[in-house]
Amino acid sequence: MTLVIAIPSKGRLKEQTLEVFANAGLTVEPPADERSYHSKITGRDDVEIAFLSASEIARELASGSIHLGVTGEDLARESIPQTNDRVEFLTPLGFGHADVVVAVPDAWVDVSTMADLDDVAAEYRSRYGRRLRVATKYWQLTQGWFGQHGIGVYRIVESLGATEGAPAAGSADAIVDITSTGSTIHANNLKILDDGIILKSQANLISSKQAQWSDAENSTRREIVTKLKNSC
Amino acid sequence: MPERLLQHLHSVAPDHVDIPILQPADPFLETAGEDLRRRIFITQSNAGDVQCLRPEFTIPICIAHVESERPQARYAYGGTVFRQQRDGALEFLQVGLEDLGDDNRADADATSIADMLATLGHAGIRDPKLTLGDQSLFAVVVENLQLPDTIARRLVRNFGSPNALEGLLNRLSTGRVFGASEDEADKLAAAGHEAALIEHVESLMQAANIAPASGRSPKDIAQRLIDKAGEGSFKLDQVSAETLRQFLAIELPLTHTPDALAAFSAETGIQFREAGSAFEGRITALVKKGAPLENMTYRASFGRNLEYYTGVLFEAAANGKAVAGGGRYDRLCSLLGADTPVPAVGFSLALDRVEAAL
Repeated sequence: MTLVIAIPSKGRLKEQTLEVFANAGLTVEPPADERSYHSKITGRDDVEIAFLSASEIARELASGSIHLGVTGEDLARESIPQTNDRVEFLTPLGFGHADVVVAVPDAWVDVSTMADLDDVAAEYRSRYGRRLRVATKYWQLTQGWFGQHGIGVYRIVESLGATEGAPAAGSADAIVDITSTGSTIHANNLKILDDGIILKSQANLISSKQAQWSDAENSTRREIVTKLKNSC
Repeated sequence: MPERLLQHLHSVAPDHVDIPILQPADPFLETAGEDLRRRIFITQSNAGDVQCLRPEFTIPICIAHVESERPQARYAYGGTVFRQQRDGALEFLQVGLEDLGDDNRADADATSIADMLATLGHAGIRDPKLTLGDQSLFAVVVENLQLPDTIARRLVRNFGSPNALEGLLNRLSTGRVFGASEDEADKLAAAGHEAALIEHVESLMQAANIAPASGRSPKDIAQRLIDKAGEGSFKLDQVSAETLRQFLAIELPLTHTPDALAAFSAETGIQFREAGSAFEGRITALVKKGAPLENMTYRASFGRNLEYYTGVLFEAAANGKAVAGGGRYDRLCSLLGADTPVPAVGFSLALDRVEAAL
């Protein structure tokens, strides 16, 4: 029985994951050849490493075809329905920080909280003949958060890039997007609502509840989590 | 069973309109809100039109009614509806009735309730328990507390969602502060300089390249901030909070309700006036119809936090499980494009639940 851990296959997320693993004494060996997406951890035959894209990792965790995976909490919560039933967040890894936030135009000087946004949304249609529009690629997170704040009457406008430009482009009134420093949001003359932080996300080691877990795999998982926790 | 029930419904509601299974999704999302998206099945045609599997009949029937320009009609309907729900079937049979355009609201409400109970009777459900609420009574209580406008509207909007309402009451009881801000806009608003504030908002919009015609205008934004500033620091006082909680806790046999509301009025000084007489008129109409009042309970907190519900809401349960429900939604046809308000009341039976209860 081998425990399958999926790691991001490219970019900063990959480098930082390998670094955190190495610091915990888990050295991921480079794949045998460039085309291979499989590898192992030096000295361990009980673990198999799979290199996947961050969004594939979320999907495979949800289906249970991998045991553990490293990906952003935002991505996992957005793309895995009923997230807490399907996966468990084992430990944050200290990189890939990004907040998912609700932002409105600076010019909306009267709107600083979700409650203000609720007031505005409730009257939008009777005043302007249409619903308040929110641009985002985070459908699930937006619906969940707005629902928690009792806001139902708005429309989501799907945004596949440059979400922060939507209000100026006239395609939306407000946005839900990720930001690490807030600078892109401010540069676009938008402001984050006082209570508009939906999620403070970072890369996490995530465990699939859908995967088959043998006793051996369970104990390997405990060992790896302990090592990562101690070094993070 | 569905044919038999539908036949019975047609005998009391002769009007008919065809509602295809595949529906444009937009009217549902526009009226019920984006939150509905998670609970319906959405699909897209190759041309890019967003369609959904019929999640209910009320909205398409109201659209057809508005288009027909008929002054008044009673529609019976029946068929499969599709919902995404964690527990329960993804598709189930629904039959129901919509009564549109009847100005005599008390009678129309009572008729709708009686028709629902009769239909349940035909389905074999005897003596279901009926729970009834009325959002217009809650609106009267809120109005009488003389709260700032925005707060009052927020409370009424959350009626029917007990958790949200309780959370709101708690937040309002701890208070909100306005005026301590060093922000330019807040200072202008606190001083009531509307023209300067509008100019300030305009300059922010220009900086952001936002066209003022595309939505909220500088004047609307300035006005709302000045209103907020005028309401000042607001804290819901204990007496008002207690009055709201006391009202929301009322739950008793429908026949005792007029006395209980009178006692509430005597204690709090809040008179229900038209909403109160409408409530009593409905009870009188129910008595006239021979409806089984002994099985009916009034629960003050019972409602739906959808903006188009305006009056009575009712639900029938058998063995503790809801099997049918309905209510008044006088604002729905206007939302769907009617030029003048259309009085509307109706109900539906979920046949899978009815069968489970037999």
